[in-house]
Amino acid sequence: MVCATNEGRLQGVTTIETLTAAARIVNGTKTYGDGDAAVTALHEVNVEFGSARFTAIMGPSGSGKSTLMHCIAGLDRLTSGDAFIGDTLLADLKDKKLTELRRSEVGFIFQSFNLVPTLTAEENINLPLSLGGRNGDLEWIDTVIDTVGLRDRLSHRPSELSGGQQQRVAVARALASRPTIIFADEPTGNLDSNSGSEVLAFMRRAVDEFGQTIVMVTHDANAAAAADRVLFLNDGKIVHDMSEPTAERILDMMKSIGS
Amino acid sequence: MIKLALRGARANLGRLILTLISVVLGVAFVSGSFVLADSLRSIFDQVSEDAFAGVDAQVRGIDNDMNSTDGEIPRFDDEVIATIAELPEARYTEGGLFSFERAYTIDSNDEVVRPTGPPVFTGSWAGPSPVSSFRILDGEPPTGQQVVIDPVQAERGGFEVGQDITISLPTGEPEVFTLSGTIDFGDGGTGGAFFILFDLPTAQRVLGLPGQVDSVVVAAAEGVSPDELVTAISAVLPNNLEAVTGEVVIGEQKEDFGSFINIFGNVLLGFAIVVLFVSTFIINNTFATLVGQRTRMFGLMRSIGASSKQIMQMVFIEAGSIGLAASGLGLVGGLGVASALKQLFSSAGGEFPDGPLEIRTRTIIVVVIVGMGVTLASAILPALRASRVTPLEAFRSGGKTAQPLTVRIAAGSAVLLPGLILMAVGMFGNPGGTAATLACIGVGGALTFIGVSMLSAMFAGAVAGFIGQPVAKLRGVTGRIARGNASRNPQRTSSTVTALMIGLALISGVAVLTRSILDSFEEVLNESISADLWIFESNQGLEFSGLLVDQLAELQEVDNIAGFSPTAIRIDDEVLTATGFDSSTGTSVVNMGLVDGVAEIGREGIAVLDTVAEQRQLSIGDRVDIEFEDGYTTTLNVRGIFDDAALVGADWLIDRGLTAEHRITDGITFAGLTYAEGVDPAAGRAAVEASTSAFPQLSVQDNTEFQEEAEGQIAQLQIVITALLVLCLVVAFFGIVNTMVLAVLERTREIGLLRAVGMTRRQLQSSVRWEAAIISLFGALLGVLLGLLLGWAAVIAIPDSFVSKLGIPWGQLIVYVVVGGLLGVIAAWFPARRAARLDVLEAISTQ
Repeated sequence: MVCATNEGRLQGVTTIETLTAAARIVNGTKTYGDGDAAVTALHEVNVEFGSARFTAIMGPSGSGKSTLMHCIAGLDRLTSGDAFIGDTLLADLKDKKLTELRRSEVGFIFQSFNLVPTLTAEENINLPLSLGGRNGDLEWIDTVIDTVGLRDRLSHRPSELSGGQQQRVAVARALASRPTIIFADEPTGNLDSNSGSEVLAFMRRAVDEFGQTIVMVTHDANAAAAADRVLFLNDGKIVHDMSEPTAERILDMMKSIGS
Repeated sequence: MIKLALRGARANLGRLILTLISVVLGVAFVSGSFVLADSLRSIFDQVSEDAFAGVDAQVRGIDNDMNSTDGEIPRFDDEVIATIAELPEARYTEGGLFSFERAYTIDSNDEVVRPTGPPVFTGSWAGPSPVSSFRILDGEPPTGQQVVIDPVQAERGGFEVGQDITISLPTGEPEVFTLSGTIDFGDGGTGGAFFILFDLPTAQRVLGLPGQVDSVVVAAAEGVSPDELVTAISAVLPNNLEAVTGEVVIGEQKEDFGSFINIFGNVLLGFAIVVLFVSTFIINNTFATLVGQRTRMFGLMRSIGASSKQIMQMVFIEAGSIGLAASGLGLVGGLGVASALKQLFSSAGGEFPDGPLEIRTRTIIVVVIVGMGVTLASAILPALRASRVTPLEAFRSGGKTAQPLTVRIAAGSAVLLPGLILMAVGMFGNPGGTAATLACIGVGGALTFIGVSMLSAMFAGAVAGFIGQPVAKLRGVTGRIARGNASRNPQRTSSTVTALMIGLALISGVAVLTRSILDSFEEVLNESISADLWIFESNQGLEFSGLLVDQLAELQEVDNIAGFSPTAIRIDDEVLTATGFDSSTGTSVVNMGLVDGVAEIGREGIAVLDTVAEQRQLSIGDRVDIEFEDGYTTTLNVRGIFDDAALVGADWLIDRGLTAEHRITDGITFAGLTYAEGVDPAAGRAAVEASTSAFPQLSVQDNTEFQEEAEGQIAQLQIVITALLVLCLVVAFFGIVNTMVLAVLERTREIGLLRAVGMTRRQLQSSVRWEAAIISLFGALLGVLLGLLLGWAAVIAIPDSFVSKLGIPWGQLIVYVVVGGLLGVIAAWFPARRAARLDVLEAISTQ
């Protein structure tokens, strides 16, 4: 499974390497609290996420990887520095515009509790589009549904789906509006290894076949190995930027950071 | 354990405060009813004691159980005063005469001066004396062509002592009297009643009762006890009179006031109980949810060694502390409720005498028992559920185990069926006495509501889904989410709206009954009336002088006129109500649906309602022995059988010539007349109005006006009842706020997710509000439906002579449903804002 994705990744890298950044942070600093109690979660971070690339963010607990993702996804605001999605400076946006930006330009896949329990799988997939009062590209959504293999589960409620199926619905939802960038926060963290690999495979295909940009925060070296690039964070700084990762190299790097 | 429970209460303070409010409302209403009734009782007790303080004995007519329907007491010859005064045991003797609602003062605008609620007394006063019930405030006692009145009346009429005022009299000839002074009853005001007092000869003359009194009050000579005085007087009395001590009179007077206050207090208490009952559902709902949320904590406590009994105690301690707090607040709130009610009734003309508000120990005990009892009782089921939590559940994520459907149907039906049966027994059976009937209807109604509430959980989800359909269609995904949330927890949806359901059921039940009464009345007017014009007392349908009928009969514009006079009669040892009517002209104004015999029954005849005739096996020609109010007995022939008692208002009809002679007064409650042939209605009316102008309290109306007036009065009553029931809606409102806060809290993570994937604050708020609207609409629909059933049952249960057909006020019912929905939207305002303000990141990371 890992081999197959590696091959795909290599093709992807060669074809779409040159496009501009889907999102970036310039001199991003994030502190929580005031005075003596202040904790710096991000320390003058500069990073770009290339279009049509699959980037993994790793690091020990408290290293700032979730903060980095939240700030660039428009869920949280930087204390100083600028965060962009495409060419949009997030600090300029009020809550309403920011929400609309998340709706149309950003996709989310969370670790668990990804779906609204009262809506069917199909309604969940369409949720960001319907919130914006749009129908979306029906042909595209059809393709997405077929890709994640959920055609026969569309009318089911989340409680009637397995954990793996729920995450596949979440992937489909993130893809449905063709966002500029998709953020995945431990998307396989709650899944058994088979379902996890399946979900990673879909994310991989989204990047390779549809040119989607994905940023994934993970603890799991095997999951990170499915990405094109792995950023390592420690103490609020990017300490390493690894291309063409493998699970082994990632584990080694994590060990060196941890010690 | 207590500490833990109190901490649990503190952790959920906001929610418990909302719950507290709903209990406090009910408790405050209960305590207010007691406080007001107690305070009034003490005040009036004091008034009675002051008024009869100097009276050692009173002489009066013997009560024959047939108190006049007009509230008058028997009169007797005033020669007995002299007889008593000659007794050595009597130091001072005085005769008195009183009548209700016969004379009125007229102000400078020619308007009658009268209180809104309490009556106007006309009578005699001999001035200050050892036995006087009145006290002069200003001026002099009346003699000859002089009068004294109470200060409130003087102020309202703009009368000054020394001024000449016009007084309308039952004789039909208004007279001018000089206002010689103002008076007070006892030492405590007049309780809102008006007094018009003359000296005894004048009172006898203006009331048309020469030489008559209705009481003689006596003060005992030095060294003579009241009992000795009574014995001495009794020896010289004719056998239609009796003597009693002043103490007996005070006791009776207190009882008279007391029974009025009791009715008043009990009506208020009834509403208070309804409000309390409604709030139990809110308390129950809160505790059920709190227990559900804390299942894991209870499991943890069980696993570290807490017994199931201790867990149960914990919930009860939490409930008990709320109950106690609610009782305390309710007691204090009761003072507010009492003074607010007092103000309300005072502004409506009741003018309660001043006096302190009184909290008796009994009130405190009742309030604490009620407050604690209601809260603890509502917590029983949740506490049981909490005690059944197993230690294992600490490690399981909160999968709720819903009761199986069959169990719920069985439990709901087991409550609903006895409820319906009890209601049916109360309404259609005869369980014995008013108290038993009310108890059956009350308990049956409560059980019915509980049963419906339990059963409604079965279809709450489906119905809420159905109601939500248009919302989902119109409002897109926001509406779909609202609809989904409204139907996702049917148990909670149904218990949330139970309070709303009950409130609206009662309000719409009243509306249906009101409409039915009005429709029935309209039918009666259309079918049983042939009169052109009606004359009645405009304020409360009180009696007025029957002399008017004879005066109007002489007008050339009037063809036929008939007066109607209710009277008590005794047949086979049973006291019944009959209507005295002018039998020679009666059918020309009223059609009572004669099925056999004639309506012109004459002085020797009697007519009887067909159902009563059947029951008593009476037919034309049978003879009936009858005793009248004054004790006169005679035998009457059954001459007519009729089937429509709606307008004549009694099952028995007797000629008014006979009843007028043997009643305490000659009063009638209404008269109907037809114009002579060829008389222009406007001219006829003008002539009649000219003749009735001496009786300013009377209204002259044609059928349309009559109907409109009746509608207005009944509608006003409906408004008052609805206003009191609106408290239920207030409680329901807090219940909805409570549930929505809870729902938002429970769904924090889901809300975070929705916000993350692009739901704006506005969309989120609107979704929460729509959810509440759907839930409330469900409750409102259920309530209005139940109200329809209640109203219908009431229409069947109430005798046809009063309500004969079902009328459904569709417009009002629709308004109630809409109001119910709006209530939900407003209740969701705060929870929706709270949901919208949640921090997206924090919400997502909530466990």
